[in-house]
Amino acid sequence: MRAPANDWPNWRGPTHNGISTETGWLDHRAAEGPPILWKAKVGSGFSSFAIANGRLYTAGNQTNTDTVFCLDAVSGKPVWTHSYEAALGDTYFEGGATGTPTVDDNRVYTLSRWGDVFCFEAASGKIVWSKNVHKETNIRIPTWGFGGSALVHGNEIMLNVGEAGLALEKTTGKILWQSANKESGYSTPLPVQIDGKSLAILGSGRAYIGVDPDTGHEVWRARWQTQYGVNASDPIVDAGRIFISTGYGKGASLFKLRLDGREPEAVWTSKVMRNQFNSSVLLNGFLYGIDGDAGEKAALKCVEFATGTMKWEEKGVGSGALMAADGKLIVLTDYGELMIAPASPDGFKPSARTQVLGGKCWTTPILANGKIYCRNAAGNLVCLDVAKSGAN
Amino acid sequence: MSRSLELTNFMGISRRRFLQTTALAGATLSLPPFIRADEPGRKFRTALIGSGWWGRNILKEAMASGRCKVVALGDVHEMTRETTADQVHDLSGEQPKTYNDFRELLEKEKPEIVIVATPDHWHSLVTIAAVKAGAHVYVEKPTGHTVHESRAMLDASQQSGRVVQVGLHRRIGPHHVSAMKFLRDGKAGKVGMVRAFAYSRGNRELPHPNSEPPEGMDWNFWCGPAPLRPFNTKIHPGGWREFIDYGNGQLGDWGVHWLDQVLWWTEEKYPKRVFSSGGRPVAGPAILNEKEQTTDSPDHQVAVYEFESFTTVWEHRKFAENRAEKHNIGAYFYGTNGTLHIGWRDGWTFYPANSNDKTIHEPSQLEEPDGHNIKLLWADFLDAIDHGRKPVADIEPAHRSSVLPLLGMISLKVGRSLEWDGAKEQIVGDPEASKLLTRPYRAPWSEP
Repeated sequence: MRAPANDWPNWRGPTHNGISTETGWLDHRAAEGPPILWKAKVGSGFSSFAIANGRLYTAGNQTNTDTVFCLDAVSGKPVWTHSYEAALGDTYFEGGATGTPTVDDNRVYTLSRWGDVFCFEAASGKIVWSKNVHKETNIRIPTWGFGGSALVHGNEIMLNVGEAGLALEKTTGKILWQSANKESGYSTPLPVQIDGKSLAILGSGRAYIGVDPDTGHEVWRARWQTQYGVNASDPIVDAGRIFISTGYGKGASLFKLRLDGREPEAVWTSKVMRNQFNSSVLLNGFLYGIDGDAGEKAALKCVEFATGTMKWEEKGVGSGALMAADGKLIVLTDYGELMIAPASPDGFKPSARTQVLGGKCWTTPILANGKIYCRNAAGNLVCLDVAKSGAN
Repeated sequence: MSRSLELTNFMGISRRRFLQTTALAGATLSLPPFIRADEPGRKFRTALIGSGWWGRNILKEAMASGRCKVVALGDVHEMTRETTADQVHDLSGEQPKTYNDFRELLEKEKPEIVIVATPDHWHSLVTIAAVKAGAHVYVEKPTGHTVHESRAMLDASQQSGRVVQVGLHRRIGPHHVSAMKFLRDGKAGKVGMVRAFAYSRGNRELPHPNSEPPEGMDWNFWCGPAPLRPFNTKIHPGGWREFIDYGNGQLGDWGVHWLDQVLWWTEEKYPKRVFSSGGRPVAGPAILNEKEQTTDSPDHQVAVYEFESFTTVWEHRKFAENRAEKHNIGAYFYGTNGTLHIGWRDGWTFYPANSNDKTIHEPSQLEEPDGHNIKLLWADFLDAIDHGRKPVADIEPAHRSSVLPLLGMISLKVGRSLEWDGAKEQIVGDPEASKLLTRPYRAPWSEP
């Protein structure tokens, strides 16, 4: 079977920036928005979706048990599940699974909040290997549990575990390198190329740190202290500059990304964008993202990347999440409203907005192969049809 | 400041407290304490001790009042004090100094107002040090972690003559004030029973691994006078409320607010008998070992307070919620005319006994996102300092309200009812239970 061209195999998508290359999908078919194709229940949590080869992967928790779900991405029918004991961990939020599965080369990798790592056969769910990296290394679990997803790099998977990551051999799970037993942050390692070198940048407990993913050697660091150590959003790198943003009133900086061993130089620093846990997307020189903390009237904003100047603000979005495809923003609000709007610094003018879920929605909606997948904290998943007719 | 105001406040002290303090002070023939009025409108050098989530909520209102210059922040976690200092700078332009040790903060900064927002097991020692250093204090509820600690806070506060406001903001929240007027006007009829409660969802609790404390955190100091447990993210940040070494579970956290509403309403000062039962049948046994921990507070608890003229029941459950009734938190005042529910975000509602009468409802007026009335309580605190009067949640009634959950926890621990002599603050005829009015202190700290 030919793999569909527009898979979304990992957190933030194939290019690790929250942007899909999928074109030609419809942003609406009727005033009431895209029709719902199917619904599923996947347990409590905030795990987003990986979609590859016609299958969808996500995770959730029920009665102190995490379940990794593999569903048919078209029909929603269960393909396989795997469950293991894991605390709900609901201090200050609903709790449940927070990391998103990563699909690579017919394997699925998952990291639980408490350090369980699984490598599954993507089609069958058969466990290739599994371990608990916390138990093996005694590296501490940060306050809300490990939050990032696995990054595949060469023959390894890299995890945001420890002060500056940890790498496992992807075929065996053997530890290749690890970092200091200090608090990790909650972002997913971001792969970047700079000066011909590979770098993986992640949010640590007190800084954003870039390491050589082959060795784990730290090559770059920006001191970055956020309340409770919640360095959760993924940085965005463009044209030799790196955008970092966190919540709890902290704000954002754009740094020059140079590997000269010096303290990074900020191009601008501002409170204009405070990404508490969901990251912004960068399109044509403008950032689109959620500014503000859960429960504190967070808003969707457009901010100029080069200057930090706010172009517009859409209130009433709350602590939602977004991705982009074909020049459009796909936004799921905190309150379960799906909005699709052209990404433009001139203003936010949704072409479609429809209530697709109730409850709390903090999870990034995903477009893949003519379908949009959304979930809420309680684990209600909806699949909406945005394919051009006949595409499926 | 006028002489007459001093006299008014001197006269405002209860006769019993007056006799006690004069007896204590008798040897030095010093005058009994009084609260002095301050110059209205001036700015106070303000410090926050315990700079986490709730401390920041209070500090924001202090800054918003325009009457406080934040000079210092205390916290035993470097990152917490630094990120809170950044926030103060963002909001006010001031750059407060930061301290690990509250004693050094008090000595060097000489604050005029101190906000104490530490975990419960530190309230008493920090508050007493602050009033002795001459500061007015806003301290979180409940007052102390034990009855003796709470009493020591009250005595030190009264001897200092400083204003001590306790964070029982439900004494000033608009819907609480109007609900209390409704009760006092007799609209609920004769009230014979109160049921206060907090229900939430929950399940079996899995242990969580211990770890090294976060970098830059003085965990030994955090535990302070209480037992030194292995660090665990279940305890910090915030989770200490459900660890009996540091908090007193739901009864100490939520119960004190609603039991305080009862003491605010009644003319009685204290119950004469207390009985509590509870456990962890759903959460499972408490675990504490070198590797891992669970919380150890009860997952459900009932505490019965027998007063002369009515009975109060506290009930909490951390499972099942309560879809069988409309409300999951608050207090029902059962009167001959009907049931008054005083709630949180759901305001208050009166359900008449006569089915032909209409339900009466008043919505809440809270500050979000955390749903409190600290702004009003802070304004009252400053006004009390300005005018040398007692604040609405003064340490004296707050002490008596805090004693209720603390007695409930003692009864739960010993497994029998307690006869309470509220005038002497003694448990009658039960030496084992009486020992739990205090607890051992970990060196170098000692009982205040």
